[in-house]
Amino acid sequence: MIYVIDHEDSFTYNLVHLLDNFAPTYVSNYFNIDKKKLDSCKIIVFSPGPGDPSHYSETQKIYHQYKGLKKIVGICLGFQQILYAEKGQIIPQKKIYHGYQSRIKVLKGSSLFEPNKILLGGRYHSLKLKEPFSHQNLKITMRCVETNVAMAIEDTINNVYGFQFHPDSFLTVDGKFLIQKIIQAK
Amino acid sequence: MLNNKEYLNKIFQSNKPLIIYKTIGGFDVYTDFNERIILNSKNFKSFLNIKCNKPNSKIKELNCYVGFFGYELLCKNIDIKLPKQETSNFYPGLVYKPQTLIKIRKNITIKSLLNNFRKKISSQKNNNHFYEKKFNLNLNESQYSNLFKYFSKKIKLGETYQIKICQTYSNKSHIDAVNFFWKLMSMNESPESFLIRDKDYSIISCSPETLITKKKNTIITKPIAGTLNRTKKMTTKYAMSYFKKNEKESKEHNMIVDMERNDLSRICKSGSVKISKLKSVEQYRDLYHYVTEIKGTLKKKTSNHDIISAMMPGGSVIGCPKINTLKLLNSRERVNRNIYTGSFGYINANGDMRFNIIIRALLNFKKRAEISAASGVVIDSKAKKEYKENYIKAKSLLDLFKI
Repeated sequence: MIYVIDHEDSFTYNLVHLLDNFAPTYVSNYFNIDKKKLDSCKIIVFSPGPGDPSHYSETQKIYHQYKGLKKIVGICLGFQQILYAEKGQIIPQKKIYHGYQSRIKVLKGSSLFEPNKILLGGRYHSLKLKEPFSHQNLKITMRCVETNVAMAIEDTINNVYGFQFHPDSFLTVDGKFLIQKIIQAK
Repeated sequence: MLNNKEYLNKIFQSNKPLIIYKTIGGFDVYTDFNERIILNSKNFKSFLNIKCNKPNSKIKELNCYVGFFGYELLCKNIDIKLPKQETSNFYPGLVYKPQTLIKIRKNITIKSLLNNFRKKISSQKNNNHFYEKKFNLNLNESQYSNLFKYFSKKIKLGETYQIKICQTYSNKSHIDAVNFFWKLMSMNESPESFLIRDKDYSIISCSPETLITKKKNTIITKPIAGTLNRTKKMTTKYAMSYFKKNEKESKEHNMIVDMERNDLSRICKSGSVKISKLKSVEQYRDLYHYVTEIKGTLKKKTSNHDIISAMMPGGSVIGCPKINTLKLLNSRERVNRNIYTGSFGYINANGDMRFNIIIRALLNFKKRAEISAASGVVIDSKAKKEYKENYIKAKSLLDLFKI
């Protein structure tokens, strides 16, 4: 089972339908967690949502509690929540991407996606990861071609993954494939 | 005895409560209401799930409730609280059970559960109509700009991605609603136009926006995002290339498409939600709209209340993401939206339904006429342009008062 923690976004259920292709998916609000289900699920997904990671202390706690024990996936705000929990700083970016389709490049360090491949991804974010950011296990594996902003992360040791853009958006080409790779990663 | 046309005219001229709803190829007129239910947050769910499901008429098309849900009712329904606002204490929502349906197409046909429906017209005529030509606006340009700046900051912080600021025009009037409605239709017949005339209020609207069309287990929504002021020389082709090239309009539209896909996905079978018509242009008297159609297959056992709660208030007139944006709007708006961005339509006992978003609408209650309009703040918006867009949107209704 996949457990999606919803941060009251208006895109969460697009993601849920994608995930449903690979495993039964349960959704709850971030302030209304079903602990039994969370304990029994195989994968935890942090949904997109408004605001910045510091607004959601509940999700931070869940990350620290389950990191290394279960696969954790973050999308958009969820991606930033993972980075924030790993001592990354999330800051406003100059150009804001709401409803924007960008060219995104896969970096050499990616273990799941073909290096140098260019993807088209739909974006909804005004904040970004402050760089330089360095981490022992968590690698940045995709970047925006135009601005170089971090677009994906992989931590194959702890099984933590994330996208800054939205595989669930109709603006993303073949988002289902991107999700499949992450869900099936061992 | 009166023929159908004479009968219809007589109803229009009387003060009999009635509802007119635009449909493909004409209009449906509902009247002879034997039930009138005031909706509130306590009875809303049971009305939708219990009362609406009971068939109680021999004529299929009359097996329905027709009416509206106000904005505040729809917010409360999804647990969004509103602060104290200026209010005229208008109904939170009202639905009617009709016993007579008059179809205006090439010919006029009538279906009624009553044998003597032609006799049920009071001869009383309401003659104390009057209207003022000028309107007051609740936010002037500098007040609007301040609000605009406040919300722009919130966009930069990621608390909302798009938010629609509402403005309300009002004056002292008591209009002849049917007369105003047909004037409006002659200038601006829109696919979701409607009128409600009751003893103590009336609503007329040339809404272009369909929120829900549900037949059996198929549900369709058709969000509008993107408006272009139309001049005489413009063509639809020009409008299409304008929208396509305009990054701001495209991004605003994309966001709404993903949001409506999401809202449908809450109640539809996994994988069934599809964009059936992406980004088409619709032409109206004063403007062009950018429209997308999205379709899905409902999950089994989805109740009327589940559908209404997932889809309303319609996202395209609120902003995105819906919950936090509603909270932000409600924290700043001082005047109750009443019907504006609520929803009008019907639910049949067989589960079929049709609902619009109440925009381009005039509410006349307690000798006060009010018209609201809203346009979207996204990161590239300019306050002046959006302020003007609100006027363009209200114009076809404001113009009725100039004649």
